[in-house]
Amino acid sequence: MLRQFQAVGASGSDARAEGPATAYHEFYRDDFQPREHYVPLWEHIQRAGQRGLALKAREAHLALHNEGVTFTLYSDQEPGIERVWPFDILPRLVTAGEWAPIEAGLKQRIRALDRFIHDVYHEQCILKDGVVPPELIYRGRDLCRDILDVDPPGGVYIHISGVDLIRDESGRYLVLEDNLRTPSGVSYMIENRLIERRILPEFFQRYRVRPVEHYPERLLQRLRRLSPRGAEDAVVVVLTPGIFNSAYFEHSFLAREMGVELAEGRDLVCRNDRVYLKTTLGLRQVDVIYRRLDDDYLDPLVFRPDSLLGVPGIIRAWRAGHVALVNAPGTGIADDKAVYAYVPDIIRYYLGEEPILPSVPTYQMTDPQDRDYVLDNLERMVIKAVSESGGHEMLMGPTSTAGQRDDFTRRIQADPRRYIAQPVIQLSRHICYLDGELESRHLDLRPFVLHGGDEIEVIPGGLTRVALTKGSLVVNSSQGGGSKDTWVLAD
Amino acid sequence: MLSRIAESLYWMARHLERADNTARVLDINVVHRLAAEEGLTEEGQWLPLLTILGADDRYAETYPDGRVSVPRVIQLLTQAEGNPGSILNCLRLARENARAARDRISTPVWETIDALCRTAEARLKATLPPWQAAEFHAFVHREVATVYGLAQGTMMRGEAHSFTRFGALQERADMTARILDVRYHLLLPDPSLVGSPLDYYQWGVLLKSLSGFDAYRRLYQTGVRPVDVIDFVILNPDFPRSLVYCVSRLERSLERIGQRPEGEVGACLERLRAHLTGVGAADIIAQGLHEYLDAFLTALLDLSDALTRDYFNHEV
Repeated sequence: MLRQFQAVGASGSDARAEGPATAYHEFYRDDFQPREHYVPLWEHIQRAGQRGLALKAREAHLALHNEGVTFTLYSDQEPGIERVWPFDILPRLVTAGEWAPIEAGLKQRIRALDRFIHDVYHEQCILKDGVVPPELIYRGRDLCRDILDVDPPGGVYIHISGVDLIRDESGRYLVLEDNLRTPSGVSYMIENRLIERRILPEFFQRYRVRPVEHYPERLLQRLRRLSPRGAEDAVVVVLTPGIFNSAYFEHSFLAREMGVELAEGRDLVCRNDRVYLKTTLGLRQVDVIYRRLDDDYLDPLVFRPDSLLGVPGIIRAWRAGHVALVNAPGTGIADDKAVYAYVPDIIRYYLGEEPILPSVPTYQMTDPQDRDYVLDNLERMVIKAVSESGGHEMLMGPTSTAGQRDDFTRRIQADPRRYIAQPVIQLSRHICYLDGELESRHLDLRPFVLHGGDEIEVIPGGLTRVALTKGSLVVNSSQGGGSKDTWVLAD
Repeated sequence: MLSRIAESLYWMARHLERADNTARVLDINVVHRLAAEEGLTEEGQWLPLLTILGADDRYAETYPDGRVSVPRVIQLLTQAEGNPGSILNCLRLARENARAARDRISTPVWETIDALCRTAEARLKATLPPWQAAEFHAFVHREVATVYGLAQGTMMRGEAHSFTRFGALQERADMTARILDVRYHLLLPDPSLVGSPLDYYQWGVLLKSLSGFDAYRRLYQTGVRPVDVIDFVILNPDFPRSLVYCVSRLERSLERIGQRPEGEVGACLERLRAHLTGVGAADIIAQGLHEYLDAFLTALLDLSDALTRDYFNHEV
């Protein structure tokens, strides 16, 4: 049966009913008409109708399934289930005007954070000047003494980052997390785009969408340039923890797209402060390692001695300048949720500029005043463990039970350095095509940034993550999140 | 190519081939037993099978009373957790290796191996009743053949495909030599019988265990003679399980692997080839089939050691 979509928002069946009315809606204006740049998309949706969209959604799911675009879901009971990547066919649009400050803000932020990491591992001026409290760095678990005073190849620490942005109630973009270690999602950004091109070719005709598919090529060129033996004969590998890692699909995707080997720790061996790959033709020296393994597991001689995933001696080889590690070891100190609160000061300190992208207000649990305030207002707060990611060990105040709040109160009092608090921000919403209906869901945006020393490049697009559960603000795919393609418009 | 990946592909194929061979040998024995053979005890029928598959000791451990029975043998060789060579364990190892080399095999190949292993797990949760064994074994044959077919049709003829072929061929040569050795030895205790027509059923089992019965019948219409069987199983270049065939395909696979590291694989393969060149079936019988096959198996083992040394596990 063919049925045209009504202007769903206008009928009030959707947008007004869900969630606090204060969340910014990216698609609808306050009068429930589509925003100007969404009008062509809306016309396409109307034209495709219920049946057209259903067919397209099914086609997308099939394509993702057939191409094996999956992620692994972990739970306490199961060893890990491979799931088809959940994808919503309706794209999210970002206008050129919206994108320009995002791009400028991300470049500014990454440049400052990279300087910060270099400083902390060398002169520590920012600590001596009291801009960032030294105890914040020394008491965090990320500072690694074995990598002090090392000049990483290319002089850069944060080659690749995937910064999480959200939009607050007024539609303003804020930085939620910096993700400077081994951020995931770029493969899904590309796969999403490939699927969209296939199933919505007519939608693309009305928009000038900036491409993202060249990312692996750009990444490879940048990786090659880091080779201590010169880019010409650089041997580059992707280092993965292995097939049981939840992002293994991405690791293998990137290796395949770049045409380089996907190595595990046991495929590499160190001799004379150099790293070698064990191949069927013997040992082959490796120049650049794009490692998707956290610092903790990278080298059992330096970090966790029980790690079987890493390569003994790899840090020595890096310190000797014979191999480039991407990202460089040590980026974790700038990706600590407690340090996050100081990023605006870090930007001012190194660049002498005002931050272009604001951060979410953050309360330090080590500060007695902040702590008391937060503990009195837990229902309105998000509590996060500073060193966790993926939405783990987190308290969502508004939806929490009294028992959970008591539990977190105890945890915070026992180890205040471990937690920070932020006011709950109503993430912006967008329409999604779910089970045959247009529904609004909360979402965020993770653009990817490549830092090449002289220039920083922001890929025009990113991974839009959607909280598929009605009203939920948690977008992590490990917690039931989905995704959308993100179209950054050229004009 | 990464050594680890090459090794995984090699073992994936060996385990698949082994599961397939075990299923075939078992199956033929069951069918043959139904062919109303007289004068042979159950033990006499099933012990050779255990010997071929190198499972005598395991059997003795598992069943200390020593009594040989069909359900026990089927259980041990098909699904026993404690038997690393059981079909189920072979399929598991094949899948594990395939998963490690997932990026280098085509998706249909991976999906077929994955489904094969999952189905086998499900079917073998309970003990397989002997009357269902034939059906299960036929399923294993079909699926392994599907994997081979898909690999042939979808994989580039480069290193990955060659290491896969190498593993399968090596396992097949090994099994062929052992089936011939054990069966022949048991069937022909008296050398004076060489040259005379032999028991149709018993020799049928040998040829059927190698899927070569029909082809043999077409080729030799004079009945089953040991000298012909040996010629066929060892030296026929067109029979896809003969030793000569396996060795020539091993040579081709090695060539297709491409650039060769320093090492002994080439020399080992040349020794195998030399072993099969310039001899006839009658010579082999004259110098003793068992000794001849034993030397072949030793050379084959040297080859797999050399392969491991040269390609998978360099001195580091």
